[in-house]
Amino acid sequence: MDFLFRKLSDKDKEEIKKQVDSILDIFSDKLSSLKGNVGESFIERDDFERNENEKEKPCEIDREIMFENAPDKNKDFILGEKGKW
Amino acid sequence: MVKVEEKLKLYLKEIEKNNKKGNRINAILQLNPDAVKEAKELDAKKKHGKLYGKIIAVKANINVLGMNANCGSKVLEDYKCPYDASVIQKIKDEDGLIIGFANMDEFACGWSGETSAFGATNNPQALGYVSGGSSSGSCASVSANFCDMALGSDTGGSIRVPSSHCGVVGLKPSYGSVSRYGLIDMSMSLDQIGPVAKNVSDAALLFDIISKKDERDSICVGSKINLNEIEKIPKNLKVGILDFKISDKKIQEEFDKKIQKAVHEYGWEAEKIKMHYLDFAVATYFPIVYVEFFSATRKFDGRRFGKRIEEVCGSEVLRRIIGGSEISKAEHAGRYYHQALKARKLIEEEFKKVFQKYDCVICPTVPRLPHKIGEKISIEEMFQYDALTCPVNLSGDCALSLPMKKINNVPVGMQIICDKFKEQKLFQIARSIEKLGK
Repeated sequence: MDFLFRKLSDKDKEEIKKQVDSILDIFSDKLSSLKGNVGESFIERDDFERNENEKEKPCEIDREIMFENAPDKNKDFILGEKGKW
Repeated sequence: MVKVEEKLKLYLKEIEKNNKKGNRINAILQLNPDAVKEAKELDAKKKHGKLYGKIIAVKANINVLGMNANCGSKVLEDYKCPYDASVIQKIKDEDGLIIGFANMDEFACGWSGETSAFGATNNPQALGYVSGGSSSGSCASVSANFCDMALGSDTGGSIRVPSSHCGVVGLKPSYGSVSRYGLIDMSMSLDQIGPVAKNVSDAALLFDIISKKDERDSICVGSKINLNEIEKIPKNLKVGILDFKISDKKIQEEFDKKIQKAVHEYGWEAEKIKMHYLDFAVATYFPIVYVEFFSATRKFDGRRFGKRIEEVCGSEVLRRIIGGSEISKAEHAGRYYHQALKARKLIEEEFKKVFQKYDCVICPTVPRLPHKIGEKISIEEMFQYDALTCPVNLSGDCALSLPMKKINNVPVGMQIICDKFKEQKLFQIARSIEKLGK
């Protein structure tokens, strides 16, 4: 496979879909041979309660930049095209 | 002490000489436009923080206010960060200076540093060869002397693999020790931000600053280390040497020599260990990454920022999006994802058992040498790059890649793995081995 970045054509995209199927088959075959039992999955921690720290600085998000990033916006809200969500 | 401004100018000169021109390393994507001004302000301060004098490159998937975190992708080529990630805030609070954004595999999807939409990163230690990925620019920047240290992110080996190929020190911290708030995620149950540096002491220094509890990342509890203790050589250490077939005999030989030297010099006890579930790591890792990455990319719909991801991304990103979408389908859930979660738990439990008996596990970081940029290799060969690193992301433990030797003029690294939140011990072991020289 060629891993260098390039613009993908529709034909490339079709080819990638086929590659994915074969990659997933490799994973599936391997995982199906797995033996061994596992119990319930849980996170082990000494303390399950977090102490909220009021002194922590609030994160400042630059509103102006945030709106600058949106391609389609009105004065104070971002626009989403109709019917395509 | 050398003023930050003077040091910065030397680094900028080196970048000018060898980033786009000269050796064409292509490690830096964007320079901090305010770096000189910020350096002057730091020099003028009367009291300085712990990172004063350190110049730091940042992987282009970590938000730095006002700069363009493009994630190595055309999708975000016009995206401007509206805030500082927690790790960046911590660096700034301690007077570290951000020099710029480092190149990376597109959305961190890659092993070699070749999938960036802004061109592959060249290996500064072995020109023409891949630098390794996905934190290719972070490791190449440190290696090429473009900065003192860098931040990378590691999901399956993305700090340790390029650190190994570029001959630098790179740490994948324990899961939950460093805040990911402000990281543009690839796989949230595996991602960790970590330091890259020229030596173990600098890696420990940067880790000490960024590994603080952060309420904005709910899993982040921080990790404490004592920098004054890093030089201490651990006594009565029990080392587990991972029994894994390395296809490159030279890597195995150099690794064996290095371990024997350390064991002999410090009186450590070493034993070969076999880890049964390691063989399942790659097949476990990718279904989890595919699913979580597919979910993470749904925000790139071109409405709030950037372009629609499927329309402009490269092949590896698309492969993972399609894979994630397939696995997420209800009829496939039992076949891939649940099996992968089961395997992940078994891998984690196996590491836990090993650390009841051993202080650390050591192995080569990458079982192969890097390929040439643009060389066609199979996906199975590509998977080999992460074979020894991704198990540690699955288990959540901490691991560090330390330069070992050059083979055919290409650096190779050794990986030291310790139990969760045992970074202090990990740095001590790494520093002890570093003292023995290359």
